[in-house]
Amino acid sequence: MNQEDLDRMLSTQENIVPSSGFVDNVMDAIECAASTPPPIPFPWKHALPGLAAWLIALVSFVYLAFAHFDASSARSTLPRTAPMLAAIIESLKAVDGEWIAVALLVSAASVFFSMRIVGARV
Amino acid sequence: MGASEDEADVERVLAGELGAFEHIVRRWQGPLVNLAFRFCHDRSRAEDMAQDAFLRAWRALSQWRKDAPFSTWLFAVATNLYRSELRRIPPNAVALEAIAEPRAPATRSLDEEDRDRALKRAVLGLPPKYRDALIVFYFHSQDIPSAARSLGVPEGTLKARLSRGRDILRGKLQKLFAKPDTKEAL
Repeated sequence: MNQEDLDRMLSTQENIVPSSGFVDNVMDAIECAASTPPPIPFPWKHALPGLAAWLIALVSFVYLAFAHFDASSARSTLPRTAPMLAAIIESLKAVDGEWIAVALLVSAASVFFSMRIVGARV
Repeated sequence: MGASEDEADVERVLAGELGAFEHIVRRWQGPLVNLAFRFCHDRSRAEDMAQDAFLRAWRALSQWRKDAPFSTWLFAVATNLYRSELRRIPPNAVALEAIAEPRAPATRSLDEEDRDRALKRAVLGLPPKYRDALIVFYFHSQDIPSAARSLGVPEGTLKARLSRGRDILRGKLQKLFAKPDTKEAL
């Protein structure tokens, strides 16, 4: 089978004629969509202060974590190959935040798996 | 099909005259339904897909920049939707190996109907990027620039996909379409 054979076969595909009610169905769907109010957009304007505060808190936490890590690096038992991770863990220990971190990780994992399951069903 | 008619209708729709969109639907229903049909080979599903394509086009009408013909933009919107739709619910493609053998494969070649059916299934059974390239390229009467614009890929990429897709297809069909006299000669 050469290129010409393949071109000829693929070019001679049958054509169909849309059913008589097709245009009406499309216009009905469009009129229905036009009469439906648009979805409410996410309120970015209102959420921005909260997001900014969250970002500042995160940056402050990382900064404090590093500051704390520098102070206690001598007695740290964690390997020096992952200084950022070590700093975060040290800081969490300092504020007894291990369980908060574990809870956050479990929540994130739960959300991730739920979305995977729902995504697979759709 | 006049480009100026499309442009005038689009402007009327954007000005709030919803009825003008009906002219666009009437003008382009055939091509959009047929393109969808080539993706799924199911008449009812093709009409549903084309209806969704018109709906999406209506929603995004203000995004048409007018730097390309309306038809180019419409085909790109439709092709994008059809490909997503096929990713979501794959066509009822059967692996080529599972296609029933021709009635007497050793003694005669496939008749046209069997050949056509086998070809459709073989195309639908290709990996999506080669399948989409072949479908859109032959739908656009083998016009590389039009097909590339519909798929939203550079022409070179499309050519590479077409070449690879044809190779896979040829390999798959070779056995099925082998002429009996060739076998006998061997």
